[in-house]
Amino acid sequence: MNRLILLLATTFATVLAVGLWIPFKALVAQELLELAWAESQARQQQTRPWPWADTWPVARLTLPETGQSLIVLEGAHGESLAFGPGQVIGNGGQAGPVVIAGHRDTHFRGLQHLETGSRVQLQSRDGDWRIFRVDRIRVVDSRHEQINTAQLPRDSLLLVTCYPFDGLENNGPLRYVVEATAESLVTADEARSALPVEAVAGT
Amino acid sequence: MLLTNLGLSSTGIVNARHRNTGLTGRRVSPRARRWLEGISLWLAVLLFLFVHPVYAEASETGHEGAGEFHFVDDAGQRLGSATLLNTDYKVTVSGLIADTRLRQSFRNTSQQWREGVFVFPLPENASVYGMTMTAGERVIVGEIHEKQEAKRQYTQAKEEGRKVARVDQQRPNLFTTRMANIPPGETITVELNYQQAVRYQSGEFELRLPTTLTPRYMPGQALDNGPAQWSGGWATPTTQVPDADQISPFTVLPEDVGPDSHRATIALEINAGLPVSRVSSPSHRISSTWNGNTVEVAPESDAVLMDRDLVVRWAPARGMEPAAAVFHEQWQGEDYLLALVVPGLNRDQQLARELVFVIDTSGSMAGESIRQARQALLRGLDTLGPDDRFNVIQFNSQTHALFMESVPASANNIARARRYVKGLNADGGTEMAPALDAALDDKHGDGENTSAARVRQVVFITDGAVGNEAALFGRISNKLGSSRLFTVGIGSAPNMHFMREAARYGRGTYTAISDLSDVARPLDELFGKMQSPVLTDIAVSWPGQTATTEAFPGRIGDLFRGEPMVQVVRGLPGKGELEVSGLLPDGSQWQQSLRLDQAANGKGLHRHWAKQKINSLMDSGLTGQVDEDAQAEVTRLGLKYQLMTKYTSFLAQDKTPSRPAEETLAADSVPTLLPAGSQGTMLRYPQTATLSPLLIAIGLVGLMFSAAITLLQRRVFA
Repeated sequence: MNRLILLLATTFATVLAVGLWIPFKALVAQELLELAWAESQARQQQTRPWPWADTWPVARLTLPETGQSLIVLEGAHGESLAFGPGQVIGNGGQAGPVVIAGHRDTHFRGLQHLETGSRVQLQSRDGDWRIFRVDRIRVVDSRHEQINTAQLPRDSLLLVTCYPFDGLENNGPLRYVVEATAESLVTADEARSALPVEAVAGT
Repeated sequence: MLLTNLGLSSTGIVNARHRNTGLTGRRVSPRARRWLEGISLWLAVLLFLFVHPVYAEASETGHEGAGEFHFVDDAGQRLGSATLLNTDYKVTVSGLIADTRLRQSFRNTSQQWREGVFVFPLPENASVYGMTMTAGERVIVGEIHEKQEAKRQYTQAKEEGRKVARVDQQRPNLFTTRMANIPPGETITVELNYQQAVRYQSGEFELRLPTTLTPRYMPGQALDNGPAQWSGGWATPTTQVPDADQISPFTVLPEDVGPDSHRATIALEINAGLPVSRVSSPSHRISSTWNGNTVEVAPESDAVLMDRDLVVRWAPARGMEPAAAVFHEQWQGEDYLLALVVPGLNRDQQLARELVFVIDTSGSMAGESIRQARQALLRGLDTLGPDDRFNVIQFNSQTHALFMESVPASANNIARARRYVKGLNADGGTEMAPALDAALDDKHGDGENTSAARVRQVVFITDGAVGNEAALFGRISNKLGSSRLFTVGIGSAPNMHFMREAARYGRGTYTAISDLSDVARPLDELFGKMQSPVLTDIAVSWPGQTATTEAFPGRIGDLFRGEPMVQVVRGLPGKGELEVSGLLPDGSQWQQSLRLDQAANGKGLHRHWAKQKINSLMDSGLTGQVDEDAQAEVTRLGLKYQLMTKYTSFLAQDKTPSRPAEETLAADSVPTLLPAGSQGTMLRYPQTATLSPLLIAIGLVGLMFSAAITLLQRRVFA
């Protein structure tokens, strides 16, 4: 009997550990990605965070509202989303519409705190920051709606995650879509000069 | 739901355990008891935290599922449509007219009665003249009606539960089939008969069978008509394309429809009336069987995917290329004559030109198309002579020109253009109007003398995936000036209606590339034409012609090298000689005559004539609405010649109801396949949730469950 209980307890502890492993991995991977991002910015080329990775950092996304800073990876397939938000379409934070998707339980949990008028910043590999303003937030049913990339304005940013945020179902049909429009561009040099003192001191 | 129950039952256990610990308190040390109580309390709190979202989600899913659109299941994965589609093309070519019997079979695989809606392309010059609906044993011949009347009768039959099918024309090359009351598990077949003129140029015939369409861009602001409602297409009506929802079927990948749907069987029989030496197809692998002068052609695989146009070309034996031909048909006591004359133009002109290349870099071009387009443009740059000037313009949502104005074709400039072209990527919208303005605006010439001596040519490379064609044609004819516009169709399913008509209004000609390996031939043909003299001011005089004789097209456009003059006339007997004359660029007169008394028998000429007349009437609607007289005349012609037009539709209906009144009817819009090699602009929302919360919840609940059992066991066995 004791053995059975032990077996049961171990099984559920493992399930719990696997469940906790996903957010943990998401958290730790971002730290590793920071290095890869710094390297790809320095070398101005695609840098894989680890040799067997099938994705690479393409941009940095910051949500000043929540104080989050995330490294965006190429592609929105399972492997890339496990480590960071994935760029579905976009040209590495440069011109053209950008669509970024992220897991609602990990990286994009913070999207629920965004409101119309919030600012979102996106840094491309060359260091330029594009600042977006959130125009609209809506919940779409992915069964009835698709993203029509041809209709997207060039200066738009779409952040996509699953909805509801505290749902348990991992393949539900609803999506939370944050639509933002580019407001201004801060080039790498400007950003450096405008950087807070402690950041400069830290280098 | 299972999880909720599990959660609730374990909550019950927790409560029970609280009592139990009280009872067993004497046997467990107070310290261990406190420890266990603390643990269970925390677990209970955690459990409630996780049970809450389950309820939240249950209420979330309650109000959905009311939609009738079932291509995607709850998981966001595409399902095969409930209606399976298969088509069968049987084409018979006789002379210059190809007659096609197209069968579309719709099989309802669901348990419900269905209404199927299918938007499909036909050749841009197709005239649909017959329709039959087959449901099981019953064969119902369709009749032509005025569009509104057909619509009314269709709705009535649909509501009464009678099987009914209707076919409407949305664009000259885009049609919609609707069938209501398809019983569960049954198949309804709609058979269409249409004919088209075969394209003949430079000694080669070409026939194109489109099977799908490239999703079109709908410019303009969304029409504000309340909340966007799903209405059968992915697009919502806009100010410039009010019928956007009617011409935007959902596009899916072949793997989404399964192996039983969206397959076409195709068979061609070519009776060219002369020995055919070779048959080829740049789009499919085909097999040809010669049988005297008749050639039977079919794709090598029995059922081909409906994800690209089928292009078949055939050429007469060397030296047998016809330079002139006359066909004659008598229909309802009237004579119809079709004449074809190929002016033999020699390539001996080297005029200085100003070439403007316009390349479409919109999202619909992404994938294989943009590679073809870049290749085409690079090839075009190769044809530039030292005296020429050129410019490159790309457009998507915005228009961008490489040079401020046309520059001399120096090695330096060409190298710069090549680099620019190689770096082009496809994304964004298809705002074609500003690009046309920029390309046709020739005010930037560097001086009157030079620009006057130059021939101005615009090469427009696009897939034509726009919904506002008519407005664009109007723009071309208004702004053309002295330029000529040439169109190059790109991709597996270009909008050939746009290519042909844009070139016609642009006083140019058109071609299409089906494949990267097929770039050279069509383009060399086109660039060859552009460098050769053009025959203008073409006049055709039929023997016995009076003021009331109607010959179409009324005004023959300019003819490029290898292109024939084709005209169809009604009410003239096949006697005497036809005189065709034109003007060459050097001012000399070209003239040719053709004896009409040796006319071969033609089929379907009366329909060809009626179609040409309808086209010329519809041209008047280019800049605005078609006026009422023209509309009435088109309707009259459609009804008389049994032709489908913008204002006439085919309808076939059963007389007896088959659907019981208590059964409901579900609408199902049959998707089309994404053209091969296209990346598609419709993006599915990615999957953006992990199993983590679920796993954590299960883990916690399970651990609590184990803890509860441990406590119980201690109480029982200790």
